[in-house]
Amino acid sequence: MLTAVQNRKDSHEARPVENKDLVKSKHHRDDEWSVLLEKVANDRCQNSFSRLFDHFAPLIKGFCVSNISGINADNSDELVQEVLLKVWRKAESFDAKKSSASTWIFTVMRNTRIDYLRKHSKHTNNVVDGLEADDIWDETLDHQPFVYLQQSRDAQLARNHLSTLPVEQARCLRKVYLEGKSHSEISQELDLPLGTVKSRVRLGLKKLQAVSMR
Amino acid sequence: MLKNHPSDNTLLEFSAGNLPSAVALCVSTHLSHCPECKNKVSEYNVLGGSFLKNTIKSEPVNFSFDQLMQRIENDQKDAESLLPKELKISKEKVKTAFENTNRVNEKVITKLLKSNEPLTWRKVSKSLHEAVLKTGQSTHEVCFHKIKKGGKVVEHDHKGVEITVVLEGSFSDESGTYKTGDYIEMQPGNIHKPRATQNSDCLCLTVVEAPVKLTGVIGKMVNPFISFRPR
Ligand SMILES: [Zn+2]
Repeated sequence: MLTAVQNRKDSHEARPVENKDLVKSKHHRDDEWSVLLEKVANDRCQNSFSRLFDHFAPLIKGFCVSNISGINADNSDELVQEVLLKVWRKAESFDAKKSSASTWIFTVMRNTRIDYLRKHSKHTNNVVDGLEADDIWDETLDHQPFVYLQQSRDAQLARNHLSTLPVEQARCLRKVYLEGKSHSEISQELDLPLGTVKSRVRLGLKKLQAVSMR
Repeated sequence: MLKNHPSDNTLLEFSAGNLPSAVALCVSTHLSHCPECKNKVSEYNVLGGSFLKNTIKSEPVNFSFDQLMQRIENDQKDAESLLPKELKISKEKVKTAFENTNRVNEKVITKLLKSNEPLTWRKVSKSLHEAVLKTGQSTHEVCFHKIKKGGKVVEHDHKGVEITVVLEGSFSDESGTYKTGDYIEMQPGNIHKPRATQNSDCLCLTVVEAPVKLTGVIGKMVNPFISFRPR
């Protein structure tokens, strides 16, 4: 999953393994969900969308309920519906060469959640007037084709990789993504210096990269 | 290639969606100039995707697939309005907003200008102009700064974390030169004396975090937003 960035030409030359992966990245992802999402994009296929719905709706809800402040079981269905609505509407911009379905849906969910919380919470600090999440978290900027390991191995690898991390590193990464916490919130919660949290996150990322390069 | 980037921690928080919007705006502006960081964020998104994949499922109870499709049909009109709109702001207007500098390269800045036009520029000193934007929030101040070519900014401290992204031209301080696209984070206590390069004006996006409120006598003496302001 986490691998070297494509524009580091020197490292490609130095590592034949990556060249092989680079070739793979030119192909479309062939995992089931990405194929279905492409059908939604190209043919507005409701059958494919229904299968994506069955798979992702419970995942999106699970992610939102257990992890995000301001969202509870009562209002989470509304958010899940918003996310799936956006998946349908924006499907055309999904590009299987650049990301897998789950990565793309993660980013759609992230942006929808930011706008949703902004509209529905009393905390208005997360606002820059005139801009929506999609303007700032612009998918033309954060979906780059890059060297990656084959999609079908992705989920398994991610699970394994996360479990190879030292507990405290995995915990920090989990808090960033799943609990939506900032580094300083994590440092307060775990009663650790901010610098320690930052270095655990960085070490975790490095280790994930190292493992997936093998 | 650019020399000054957001930290990996910041890029990860951007990917996770945890950054305050004003800070994310700076990261986003930098990304439009930096393939290296774009790639990193794309990688981190994959991590986000795998967290999503491995989440414990929880079935929605208040709506079904059919209800969603019903809503999609009803909302067809809204859907059309959701399609990316052409940015109506003209090059001329951008030129006026930035007082005749030739830009804009970043979509997000163009959009930001649209909701803030006309910009109100304030003269801070002989070589420094500032336009503070309306953001609708109180934790961060967002503004544009323009340093006249060759102009110096009086040495200053930072009362809160201050992020600067160079939009056009370049400036330098004691630690180096910053070019278009560079992302510079200054911590409270970092003192510097920026100066624009000789041949062109320097235009920057600056976001200042409101400092932790100090109490007592010292607190009263601290102006929250005195960045770039002459002593
Ligand atoms: Zn960068």
